[in-house]
Amino acid sequence: MAIVKSDVSFIENVVAKYPTTKGGIVAILQEIQEREGYLSPDALDETARLTGISVNEIYGVATFYSFYKFNPPGRHVIQVCLGTACHVRGGSKILKELERLLKIKVGEVTPDGKFELNRIACLGCCALEPVVAIDGKFYPRVTARKLPAILAEYQD
Amino acid sequence: MELTINGQRVSAEANETVLKCALRHDIHIPHLCTHPSLPPFGACRMCMVEIEGMRGYPTACTTPAAEGMVVRTETEALRELRRNILGLMMLEHPSACLLCDRREQCEEFRPSSEKVGRTTGCHTCNNKEVCDVRKLSEDLGFCQLPVPPLYHFRPLERSDPFIDRDLNLCILCGRCVRVCKHQHDTSIIDFVGRSSISRIGEAFGRTLLEADCRFCGSCVDVCPTGSLADRYAKWFGKPDSWAETTCMFCEEGCALHVGLEDGKAVAVRAVDEDKPLCVLGRFATAPFMNGTERLRAPQIRVGDVLREVSWEEALTRASEKLSACKGGAFAVVCDTSLTLEDRYVLKKFTTDVMASPNFIISVPDGNGRAKASLPDGVTAVLTTGDFLTETQRDALDVLVVQDCYPSAILEKADIVFPAALFTETEGTVLDCRNTARPLHRLTTPPGQARTDGEIITALAAALNTSGFPGNDRATLAEAAGIPEATLYSKRESVPAAASNPAKRSAWFRGHNLALLVGGLKSLPADGEPVAAEEEASLPTFVPTDKRIPFQVLSKQEISPNNHEIIFYAPAVAKKAKAGQFVIIMADATSERVPYTLCDWDANEGTITLIVQEKGQSSRKLALMRTGDTAAHIVGPLGTPLEIDNYGTVVLLGGCYGIGAHIANAKALKAAGNHVILIVEARSHYLHYYQEELASVADEFIASTIDGSNGVKGHSIDVLLRRLKTGAKVDRVIAVGCPFMMKTVAAETAEMNMPVLAALNPIMLDGTGMCGACRVTIDGKTKFACVDGPFFDAHLIDWEELKDRRNAYSEAEIGSLLRTEPVEHAHHAHGHGCGCGKS
Repeated sequence: MAIVKSDVSFIENVVAKYPTTKGGIVAILQEIQEREGYLSPDALDETARLTGISVNEIYGVATFYSFYKFNPPGRHVIQVCLGTACHVRGGSKILKELERLLKIKVGEVTPDGKFELNRIACLGCCALEPVVAIDGKFYPRVTARKLPAILAEYQD
Repeated sequence: MELTINGQRVSAEANETVLKCALRHDIHIPHLCTHPSLPPFGACRMCMVEIEGMRGYPTACTTPAAEGMVVRTETEALRELRRNILGLMMLEHPSACLLCDRREQCEEFRPSSEKVGRTTGCHTCNNKEVCDVRKLSEDLGFCQLPVPPLYHFRPLERSDPFIDRDLNLCILCGRCVRVCKHQHDTSIIDFVGRSSISRIGEAFGRTLLEADCRFCGSCVDVCPTGSLADRYAKWFGKPDSWAETTCMFCEEGCALHVGLEDGKAVAVRAVDEDKPLCVLGRFATAPFMNGTERLRAPQIRVGDVLREVSWEEALTRASEKLSACKGGAFAVVCDTSLTLEDRYVLKKFTTDVMASPNFIISVPDGNGRAKASLPDGVTAVLTTGDFLTETQRDALDVLVVQDCYPSAILEKADIVFPAALFTETEGTVLDCRNTARPLHRLTTPPGQARTDGEIITALAAALNTSGFPGNDRATLAEAAGIPEATLYSKRESVPAAASNPAKRSAWFRGHNLALLVGGLKSLPADGEPVAAEEEASLPTFVPTDKRIPFQVLSKQEISPNNHEIIFYAPAVAKKAKAGQFVIIMADATSERVPYTLCDWDANEGTITLIVQEKGQSSRKLALMRTGDTAAHIVGPLGTPLEIDNYGTVVLLGGCYGIGAHIANAKALKAAGNHVILIVEARSHYLHYYQEELASVADEFIASTIDGSNGVKGHSIDVLLRRLKTGAKVDRVIAVGCPFMMKTVAAETAEMNMPVLAALNPIMLDGTGMCGACRVTIDGKTKFACVDGPFFDAHLIDWEELKDRRNAYSEAEIGSLLRTEPVEHAHHAHGHGCGCGKS
């Protein structure tokens, strides 16, 4: 199978916008992620080539921040709330069950790219605990039993 | 500039830090992330001091010394702080051995470190003898961890040539990251991630090779722990001595710092700490010098084959052959990888002894490959390497070869002399800037090999030449007009090959180095023919109902370095009894290694073993996958554990011995005994089978040396404490490493209580024929395989057992892959593999 190189030519313009000091790297990465949705090896290699900073160092900086992603985002982003209220009402069990159902760990994307599973500290609707949000749609009082039906709503 | 440190007036130089100034005045301040060849960093906080007028505790390594400063380096508050910092650092380092009460006895019983797959304690750490952390913990009186330690189960990184990495030992001091940046102005490695998952690594989990590493080895050299290791040197321990010479792999003339042990080069570093060596100098020198393929004895052609003979016979034969072809028919061919003295001697030999004008120095190309062109009419050649083509060789009547390694040219050679290499030779070389560099004889040539100069002098003598220059270096240097040589100990710039491995020389004396030092295959040099990459195709295991004898049904690393393997071996399972063992051969050429049967199922035909990765044979087993088949399993062997109703039986287990107690406990409990099972480990993450063990014993107690799980201390401590309370114990059975069992024996010696220990010395046949497993019990010779494995622990000669177990340690180290990557295609996932996949 031929490996399709992603088009990273836009990075040249991004890099040109920032001064040649190392300080610009965080902003450059931010713009790349904004456009691509994540930081791919191709994108970081290209950034390294253009900035003269080693790709390993750039990766080191990027992995320091939880904001940067290194895998293509899933088409549907699942957020499991583990704030105090949700945690008390079994949020972590919901998360475990989702890991089991989707066969991925938290922070990962299913191999078909359909779901991305994340944990979040609080969604701000503690009265609905435990709460799960998919693509911004909130599911209140979730139980492990309800999960398969919720996931089944997302057919694409 | 003057300041006061600990009440002592000292003078500081301009731009000196407090730490540098103190160390220069022999005032010791503990430090860790600081390294002489690196700029200050201030990460580890170990060198904190009190400075009057400054708030808090500034780090001495980053604070510039200033006039009138009053510094205190050893207050109780500082000591306490440093201990706490070390304690936090040690939470992510296998540190139990630093806290162990039996450190001294352990040190005495096993002074050098034992080789192992995954290091979980000091006695199996390659860095033990030079460890900064061990020294620091001793200096600070470090004795307890604040909370249970963390083990990340990071996979061993062995897929790169020359360098082994076990990041479970890393304390994140950052020396490696900084040295890479400092010396190469780039970062092949950097800190990845944040907080407790932070580690040293390359972008996107690439290997060093993929990240374009130069393999200069500087990161290995500065690592204060055993995380980064030179795969070749790691199990040699600290070299006995270090000496300097010049590298001859190319003409850069780099000065080498060679670590020596028993006349062998075991490790190499750059003399100039700021200018790294290339991969050849740093990693290939020692394996190249010590290669098992080296020519060791003179050989002469008898019919179609070369036969090893004495020097005398070989020299006589050579002189007979050569005396018949003096004059223009003779030629000497060498390249520039000889000393100036040896070249002079060779030239003298050509012109004076052989009366020939044909002294040919074939100048190597950019990769170090030299090819000679022979003048017409030459029918006899003496060559110092593989410089002739097949056609050239075939046209010759006489071919004398003096060389270090075998090559194609030997097929045609009439006489072969084994030659010494550059760490084995005294002399002078010219570097590419035409500066003379000294060569020192640091190591002993293998077998009967001699230096090129010595060979030619002896040959001249065999040809009855008078007045031929001897081998006295001073006389030769004067006669040949060789300039005074100086070591290139301060380089002006980093050698080109150290910045780019492709620029390394690929050939030496006509040999392709990649064929002689395996790890170089992964780092092809420019213009070097690359062997076609073999497609790695491993058959994937499709589970079927049909089982093959000796097949692996399941395999997982149940605790770091302990692998549980379930084999299908119905004949063994049918007859197995508690305490017996099997002997396994992983593949047809593997060693035969005994393993205790932990459990078995006669109906299913399965046996369960715990395999600890130590050397080559256990590594083969540890890297097996479900579905793989061992070459052979023989068993059950040994006398089963005597089972009777004794009353209260205490089973002590440690390390790989823990698993063995499952069977013992079951059998003893079935016979009506009250079974107390006490298992020990260095730390909580090393315990395994806890639930299974608890279910087969009446009482189950776990102990850890660092106190992170169960009782703090060894299993024997738990037993002794219990005995002190007046408990009655009728029998003790210890299964574990020799040190653990010996300790049990020693500390129960005065008690009138039967103590049995299970011995597992080196075995071959396991049926009492070979005698390899001989042990001395009460002054009498016994065979552990048939008389044992259980013996009265108080009567065992432990010192002899230890010596016999270590008898082949050098050969065992030699059999490991030394420079090339360890094939991890057989990676079997488990709790301990840490790769994150299932």
